[in-house]
Amino acid sequence: MFRNNYDNDSVTFSPQGRIFQVEYAAEAVKQGSVVVGIASKTHAVLVAIKRNAEELSSYQKKLFPIDEHVGIAIAGLTSDARVLSNFMKQQCLGHRLTYGRNMPVRTLVDMIGSKAQINTQHYGKRPYGVGLLVAGVDDHGPHLFEFQPSGMTEEMVAFAIGARSQMARTYLEKNLEAFADCGREELIRHGLKALKESLVQDRELTIDNTSVAIVGVEKQEDGTTKPQPFKVYDGQDVSAWIESVADNAEAAPAAAEGDGMDVDS
Amino acid sequence: MDHRPQAWGRPRDDVYGAYDHSYFQNTGPRQATQAPIVTGTSVIAIKYKDGVVMAADNLASYGSLARFPDVKRLRVFLDSSVIGFSGDVSDMQFLDRHLTELSIDEAYEDPSSDNKGHLNAANLHKYLQKFLYKRRNDFDPLWNQLLIAGFDGDAKPYLASVDLRGTSFTSPSLATGFGSALAQPIMRRYAATEEDAAKLTREQAVEVVKECMKVLYYRDARSLDRYSIAVVTKEGVELKEDEQLEKQSWAFAERIKGYGTQTV
Amino acid sequence: MTSIGTGYDLANSIFSPDGRNFQVEYAVKAVENGSTSIGIRCKDGIVLAAEKVITSKLLKQGANKRIATVDRHLGIVYSGMIPDGRHFVDRARDEARGWRDNWKTPITTKDLASRMGGYMQAYTLYQSVRPFGITAIIGGYDSELETPVDGEVGSGPSVGAGGKVAGKKHGGPFLYMVEPSGLYWGYYGAATGKGRQAAKAELEKLDLSSDGESSLTLEQAVKEAARIIYVAHDDNKDKEFELEMTWISGADGPTKGRHMEVPEALRKEAEKYAERMTAKDVEEEEETKDSGDKMEE
Repeated sequence: MFRNNYDNDSVTFSPQGRIFQVEYAAEAVKQGSVVVGIASKTHAVLVAIKRNAEELSSYQKKLFPIDEHVGIAIAGLTSDARVLSNFMKQQCLGHRLTYGRNMPVRTLVDMIGSKAQINTQHYGKRPYGVGLLVAGVDDHGPHLFEFQPSGMTEEMVAFAIGARSQMARTYLEKNLEAFADCGREELIRHGLKALKESLVQDRELTIDNTSVAIVGVEKQEDGTTKPQPFKVYDGQDVSAWIESVADNAEAAPAAAEGDGMDVDS
Repeated sequence: MDHRPQAWGRPRDDVYGAYDHSYFQNTGPRQATQAPIVTGTSVIAIKYKDGVVMAADNLASYGSLARFPDVKRLRVFLDSSVIGFSGDVSDMQFLDRHLTELSIDEAYEDPSSDNKGHLNAANLHKYLQKFLYKRRNDFDPLWNQLLIAGFDGDAKPYLASVDLRGTSFTSPSLATGFGSALAQPIMRRYAATEEDAAKLTREQAVEVVKECMKVLYYRDARSLDRYSIAVVTKEGVELKEDEQLEKQSWAFAERIKGYGTQTV
Repeated sequence: MTSIGTGYDLANSIFSPDGRNFQVEYAVKAVENGSTSIGIRCKDGIVLAAEKVITSKLLKQGANKRIATVDRHLGIVYSGMIPDGRHFVDRARDEARGWRDNWKTPITTKDLASRMGGYMQAYTLYQSVRPFGITAIIGGYDSELETPVDGEVGSGPSVGAGGKVAGKKHGGPFLYMVEPSGLYWGYYGAATGKGRQAAKAELEKLDLSSDGESSLTLEQAVKEAARIIYVAHDDNKDKEFELEMTWISGADGPTKGRHMEVPEALRKEAEKYAERMTAKDVEEEEETKDSGDKMEE
């Protein structure tokens, strides 16, 4: 695509002040299948499309728990994601053992940002070829962060990365105002609807290719809040959610069950 | 080029021969803390309905010499917790500097001024306990006993102790040194259980603490009549560092028999 | 100004025949593409401000801070490659901690600037690394009071030697700007990023260096900083932006010697002032345009 003298390593600036190796690493993220994240006042949700290499092979997992209160969604080089997630797990566990509390999500994200930035400034290293959406809960509530190969980390209200993720981002921008007050189920539905926007024409959400994860705080009857640990749902567990965002489900939710199949005999 | 310190200003190896590493004492006898030198005496603290009250006198003793009468042994951490130090004063200074660095780092991570995301007293206690236990395992302890007061993750008043061995425990009232023998029985009359402590008002708690400080001055030979007192509440820490013991009565001294020239 | 560095611009630390390190010059280009940031040193404090261009509507408002605190009394704002800026701030924090460990007292602004200049310069010496793609503005208020030494117990002897020299004036506000080459100067007003030309022009009009009545106070400086960012934003006109401002005052000022974000009420006031002042400029332009049309008739 670019092919020039200045794209051989990440220690070379181009005459316009760009570092092409870092920009190429971002392309690797765009090759991964799409993942969507949304944060409300009470929950942070991650949804993902899983791909399989062949029809008979298993689907690549996209959502991973890091600690009780935080988890990630990956898009890009899975092996690079593994290195980063192992690091995050170690940091979280060390913090919990030392201080007896959940590691603040921002601190964790800043750490991987710094780690990734070093790889963009030293010869012999290459940038991490993976983008992450980090969803977590701390004393200030739920958070969603985006991590890029350049080491840039930003807190988002909602975001999508991966193949054709621009379509999902458009959906998210349109519905931005609604997210803050969404309940758990509504937030997941929004995530899946955003995901659907990025699907190829003839594809749809199935229990094999869809993954959902959610973390948050729930208000109890006595007014206190109870943290809901990060949990990933796959397979049968996601079928109800997929059905709730199926194309006919919104038009006539009641009729869908009653009518049954009008099959020609 | 050899940039290491042992090569600074050193003429070339091929002219003067290789560096003599036997000057680096990596093995051999090592000294570690074996006894405290300048020490602080008791620290006492009691929980009440809305927080914790802690007090410690302003004396640093050099053995039996009352050497430094203006030493502040109560330190505030992140405007939300108080740590009282007894034992070796140089180790107290080391810990104080270390905790200052920790509080600066915490402020980096969460610059909001409402302290919501910051380390609370329970986190701090856990951290200090691991720190002191690690030093104990190195046979180089920080010769202190600390009381940590503040609030825990559920916004309830928190009070805990940790010492030079890493032993830690919590209780509605705590004291270090002589206080554990002289002041604890008095404090336990008012806050024997968590429920009793939760009924105490601030004035009552401060009264009890002041009473105990007086008793400690009467009986602890390494104490002083000037002290610091701190009250930790949800709003923060109120620290008074130059309090004077009030309404002392030494009349009981006449009744002590068997000392000095007294023959009766 | 631009010249082709062909052959001498592919690797860091290589001199061109006319004595230039082209990789450093290219790094400066990365800074010039970044959004604007400014610093103001007035007689009673420091103000730092950043124009944060909103790259996506999905960003959480107010959650992505760019101005960082170092120790308690220093602030750093930068323009250019944000991850490099964070690396710079991490190193500054390490330097401040190392100084504190050693001397048991907070680092002075000029010493931190010196350390950071040296650090940036080191990244121009070797082919195995690349220069930082940022220019950083370091602002700090060195305490004028006799602050206690770290871990100090007691107050020392009441008679005899010790403490600071009587009558000498210590501390005060200081501002430095460090470039990718490691070069740095002390400033009363500094600006970097896309809108730096416009910002510099405005900063030069302010009275910052004198001690007199007309010299800006801290609150005035906050308002002017907001206005200058709005003026500088003109170069990025088609994008929306968020204004982030921090300030540092002396021990008897509003921040009590600490670097912190400008309180919301004051920031809103400053933004209203900025909007009013920049709108006035637009009105004046339109008026002259109208009169121009009339003349043509």
